[in-house]
Amino acid sequence: MRRYVATSIAVALLATTAFAATTPKPLNVPVVYYKLPNGLKVVISEDHMAPVVTVAVYYNVGFRLEPKGRTGFAHLFEHMMFQGSANVKKFEHAKFVEANGGSLNGHTDFDYTNYYQTLPSNRVELGLWLESDRMRSLDISEENLKNQQAVVSEEVRVNVLNQPYQLFEWISLWENAFTNWNNSHNGYGELAEINAATIEDVRSFFKTYYAPNNAVLTVVGDVDVNEVKKMVEKYYAGIPSQPAPKRADLTEPPQTKEKRVSQTDKLANLPALATGYHLPPQNSADFPAMALLVQILQAGEGSRWYQRLVKEKELTLDLSGGLNYFGNEFDYTGPMIMTTRTTYKPGHTADEVLREMDAVIADITSKGITDKELANAKVQYRSNFYSQLEGSFGKAHLLSALALFRDDPQQINSLLTPFENVTAAQVKSAAAKYLVPTNRTVIDRVPEKKGTN
Amino acid sequence: MKITLALITLTLALTPALAQKTPPPPGPARPLNLRKITEKKLPNGLTVVLAPLPNVPKISSILTFRSATTASDRKARPGIAQIAASVANEGTDTRTSKQLKEELRSIGGSLSLGSDADSTTMSASSLSEFSAKLFELMSDVAQHPSFPESEVKLAQGNTIQQIRAGRAEPGFLVNERFQKAIYGDHPYSFVVPDEKSISALTPTDLRAFVAKYYIPNTSHLIVVGDIDVDKTFAQIERAFGSWKSGDAPPDENPPVPKRDKRQIYFVNRPGSIQSAIYIGNVSIPRKDKDYFALRTADTIYGGSFYSRLTRNIRETKGYTYSPFSSSNTRAKTGAFLAGAFVRNEVTGPTLLEIFYELDRMRVLPVTDEELSAAKEYSTGNFSVELASQFGLAGRINTVYTFDLDKSFINDFRPRIEALTAADIQKAAAKYFDTYRAAIVIVGDWDKVKDQVTPFGEVTIYDAEGNIINKMGSTD
Repeated sequence: MRRYVATSIAVALLATTAFAATTPKPLNVPVVYYKLPNGLKVVISEDHMAPVVTVAVYYNVGFRLEPKGRTGFAHLFEHMMFQGSANVKKFEHAKFVEANGGSLNGHTDFDYTNYYQTLPSNRVELGLWLESDRMRSLDISEENLKNQQAVVSEEVRVNVLNQPYQLFEWISLWENAFTNWNNSHNGYGELAEINAATIEDVRSFFKTYYAPNNAVLTVVGDVDVNEVKKMVEKYYAGIPSQPAPKRADLTEPPQTKEKRVSQTDKLANLPALATGYHLPPQNSADFPAMALLVQILQAGEGSRWYQRLVKEKELTLDLSGGLNYFGNEFDYTGPMIMTTRTTYKPGHTADEVLREMDAVIADITSKGITDKELANAKVQYRSNFYSQLEGSFGKAHLLSALALFRDDPQQINSLLTPFENVTAAQVKSAAAKYLVPTNRTVIDRVPEKKGTN
Repeated sequence: MKITLALITLTLALTPALAQKTPPPPGPARPLNLRKITEKKLPNGLTVVLAPLPNVPKISSILTFRSATTASDRKARPGIAQIAASVANEGTDTRTSKQLKEELRSIGGSLSLGSDADSTTMSASSLSEFSAKLFELMSDVAQHPSFPESEVKLAQGNTIQQIRAGRAEPGFLVNERFQKAIYGDHPYSFVVPDEKSISALTPTDLRAFVAKYYIPNTSHLIVVGDIDVDKTFAQIERAFGSWKSGDAPPDENPPVPKRDKRQIYFVNRPGSIQSAIYIGNVSIPRKDKDYFALRTADTIYGGSFYSRLTRNIRETKGYTYSPFSSSNTRAKTGAFLAGAFVRNEVTGPTLLEIFYELDRMRVLPVTDEELSAAKEYSTGNFSVELASQFGLAGRINTVYTFDLDKSFINDFRPRIEALTAADIQKAAAKYFDTYRAAIVIVGDWDKVKDQVTPFGEVTIYDAEGNIINKMGSTD
């Protein structure tokens, strides 16, 4: 019998032998959750495995909510958060964090924008002070806005416009799969719209969405909960709340016909295919089965689609994708598609690739999956889930998403249960219900120039 | 291993009502909590290194074959280490590729191989409850890969296509040309094999390669995670004990080319809307005494976010999104490089600023503030790295691959803290050699040639690596 004595993820091992351990060990991540009077959600989780701490702030706004005519604005705004506040000059946030032994970043996603620093744990107060200063008093000049518009334009060039395929499995696929502008528009942004943003846009976005009552503050690491609570009170209690932002309508009309799009690519040497299937909402009974189906179809080289396309039929070179283009099952809230991207070999067609993908689906909808396949998918799912919890940032991310979207970060300890309870019959019926051509968008992207291969 | 928290600070009682104007001071330093690392050896010569880090119920493992490098057999069979690594886990004497992948899924596992100029590494992980099974699979792939004809053929075809796909990407092209420019005929210049060499390999070649170079007496196995050292070692003995040792093949380390002036290697990519720029040169092996000084000079120059290069060409001038520099030191030598991807219009101005900042590091000492920040940055982030299973395993792997002092991890902090501004300036003066730098640019020659030619002699290549013209005389 093995015993966990770790103080962080104190995982109590119930099974007495290695063979019996096919049921998940219960997780026991300590979670303290409360709200300040100004509405700020606060999550604190002690973890003394290493002398580090992550301080993260998650705002309840992503690129779905950026203003029309301002594609890319939520992300541009994220850059502005490093351009100074009342007591922290332009780019000094990075200076303070790094000079204290930490690292930092921000990320804009479909439904959230986050800011985080991982620091030596005796610097936790610095992280809290820095995040509070910009939440309280972001201070942006015309010059700094122009500077970051240039920087973000280069980011779009380096990651999208100057690349083969131009992230078509995200940007084009979403533009075609969704009809509601909030969901469908290019979240990285059109250069002209990025550069059209004004100081007024920045101020109004900040006031609307960057208020404490629209955010989660999460602290995970080698700290004492009571000490952190006092620091949170000191730095955040005085930040005024704002009227709750009006929630945009993110609903999508159901798709009734397959969508097929053909594109040419000026820079690519090989053709590629992307597909997107609309997913059931996260609270639907079908969702856990779909998540395991995604695992079975396309996670790794043992997956059914990889085996069929790359190994058996030798049609494609690779296979990537998943249930949420940027993240996981828990860190989004609006409508979502399962995406798949594959580079296929010259001399073949998109129809051949699709035919094989469909044949795999047909096999599941007719014969179902084996118990062994289901058991393996669950083990793999659990293993991947644990990996997300390995560092203080990974844990902070999940806790923040659960606080932001579900108001319940304690769920971290029971999150696996619905996935562990999925049956083979549910996977089969989810395949039949969602993996149908009328529910999908397909983009075939082929090189423009001929004869390169 | 329960940790009693020290009181972080007592000053919190004096809470001011107003927003604080200056950064709060750090609390007392927390214990580093370095992991206990145990080294053992099997009778066949395999070095085994174990480090418990029970942050999640998983284990992470790296098995490094130090004799199987991209330099091995490079004249007779270029690319063989790379293809061997990519096909080794596609079937063994007793398991098909599909069976291997299924068994990995059943333990929540992953297993992949890659090769570089210093070694071939197998990285693997699984739920800790299945560690014995993971070792069995790793051992099977290390000892008995069967290289089935069909798998070899498929990998050859796919590798050729993947390299073609890569030739559309500026990042691939700039790295490939840079390695060739600075390393010349040294084995470190290898990036990808040519198509003919790939096609020429046979399953027999690959089996012979593995038998000769995947040998326990020049390999090490690192296991980090939720483990009990004794039980894990017993599992490893069972799985790897029968692995037969072999003769360590001779090592090759020819001299790297000496560049006597600045040279520009331009890869023409018509239609490019940015120039991808790498500037640098060979530096030092990892064991060199200047390692810490060079590493810290790199941090201050472009290796951290609040670096000089980022402050200049990103935050002040807006030329680029992600400028960087890196000091990549390896077993035999290393490279220092600075890079940025910039819009065509600012190609020349970017070269100017990269050189200006390099020369500034060589001519003037860094400030006390910069030096102290760089030290904190290095030591703080070192702790974060050691807190993850693959982070710690990777760090231990460098100790064994580059034959560093076993005390490297414990010595890291004092070695960094001992550096002076003079050490940094000396390292910069020596290794940021702007007058003999290789300048590699991937971009649209017609759009940027006037900005590039003032910086030196140009050789122009196409995406396949053929020389199109010298000295920019195409215009």
